[in-house]
Amino acid sequence: MEMQPGEHAATESPDSGGGEGRPPQVAGAQEARPEDRLTLLLRLRAQTKQQLLEYKSMLDASEEKTPEQIMQDKQIEAKIEDLENEIEEVKTAFEIKRLALHRMQLSAALKKNLEKINPQTSVLMDNMKHILKLNKLIMKSQQESWDLEEKLLDVRKKRLQLKQASESKLLEIQTEKNKQKDDLAIMENSDKIKTVQQNLQTEIQVTTVIQHVFQNLILGSKANWAEDSAFKEIVLQLEKNLTMIK
Amino acid sequence: MSVLRPLDKQPGLNTATILLVGTEDALLQQLADSMLKEDCASELRVHLARSLPLPSSVDRPRIDLIVFVVNLHSKYSLRNVEESLRHVDATFFLGKAAFLATGAGRESHCSVHRNTVVKLAHTYRSPLFFCDLEMEGFQATMAQRLVRMLQICAGHVPGVSALNLLSLLRSSETLAPEDL
Repeated sequence: MEMQPGEHAATESPDSGGGEGRPPQVAGAQEARPEDRLTLLLRLRAQTKQQLLEYKSMLDASEEKTPEQIMQDKQIEAKIEDLENEIEEVKTAFEIKRLALHRMQLSAALKKNLEKINPQTSVLMDNMKHILKLNKLIMKSQQESWDLEEKLLDVRKKRLQLKQASESKLLEIQTEKNKQKDDLAIMENSDKIKTVQQNLQTEIQVTTVIQHVFQNLILGSKANWAEDSAFKEIVLQLEKNLTMIK
Repeated sequence: MSVLRPLDKQPGLNTATILLVGTEDALLQQLADSMLKEDCASELRVHLARSLPLPSSVDRPRIDLIVFVVNLHSKYSLRNVEESLRHVDATFFLGKAAFLATGAGRESHCSVHRNTVVKLAHTYRSPLFFCDLEMEGFQATMAQRLVRMLQICAGHVPGVSALNLLSLLRSSETLAPEDL
């Protein structure tokens, strides 16, 4: 491997605020120079402080002994997450403390200010009164919205209950209908019905045969059945087809 | 020296150095140019490298930020970055390293899945940026972001350290791997 992964040439861009130690590009900006130098120096001071802080913190961190044993991946991940959470907690605690400190400073300054000037006519008092009014309004509207939400919740609960009740009723109706259908089917298929039906059939057949016998008897006797009304009735009744009665 | 360490050299006065590692030379060069065009109060130095380890013969200043550029269109660039990651000291990943995935705009050309890069960034606990370096506008925005990050990592912004920035950038990203 004769060609190592090459590194391309570095490029640089000069400072816009006046290069320190480099020959000036513009010759006619001498008056602005002291300003620039001062700001540059202040900026460099801030930078160096920050970098020093970083090195110090790295030094402190490296004094802590890192565990050398081989841990499993999952354990390492868990440990890393714990450490990250620690960082976050420290940061939030710091922010909260800073906020509390600022608030204390603000209230101390306010107190001093109020002692100096006439409290009745200052704009500050107007602002504070306005703030109090707005706060009252806010609390009232929050209470109203809370009440409305409660009502909404109640209505929703009732609707749910009604739905559940109707569901159970429909279920009942459905089971009843199914039971009825089953009963009907059972009834139609039961043996008792079958034997009764068969008996009915045989009775009908026997009666039909008897009817025919009587018909033939009367016809064979060559009697005039149309003259007597009772006789006519009997003959006509014999004509009735019994299978149609069902 | 085959392993890059973040704090083994003294910082140059008013100087911030960034190292871009990636196989896409043209894109890296363009990104470097846009970064140098940015208006920044400190001196910027941009180093480009195809892969680590860097040759130790060159005298280079302290590196403040390493950006690993992965092209989602080629698996080779991902493998290259994974190889180079082994030559970086672990203390770099406390905020001085970042991943940049390019080429996510054209879904059909992507041979590396987005989740691979997300998992890689999650393993190394470093921020991951998605940027299509071929588009002018996005490249300029990315260059701006990198310049600001570089300033913080080099310690030029009082009150914010690299680790601080890392935990600030973290909250929106740790949700993604759990959703997958």
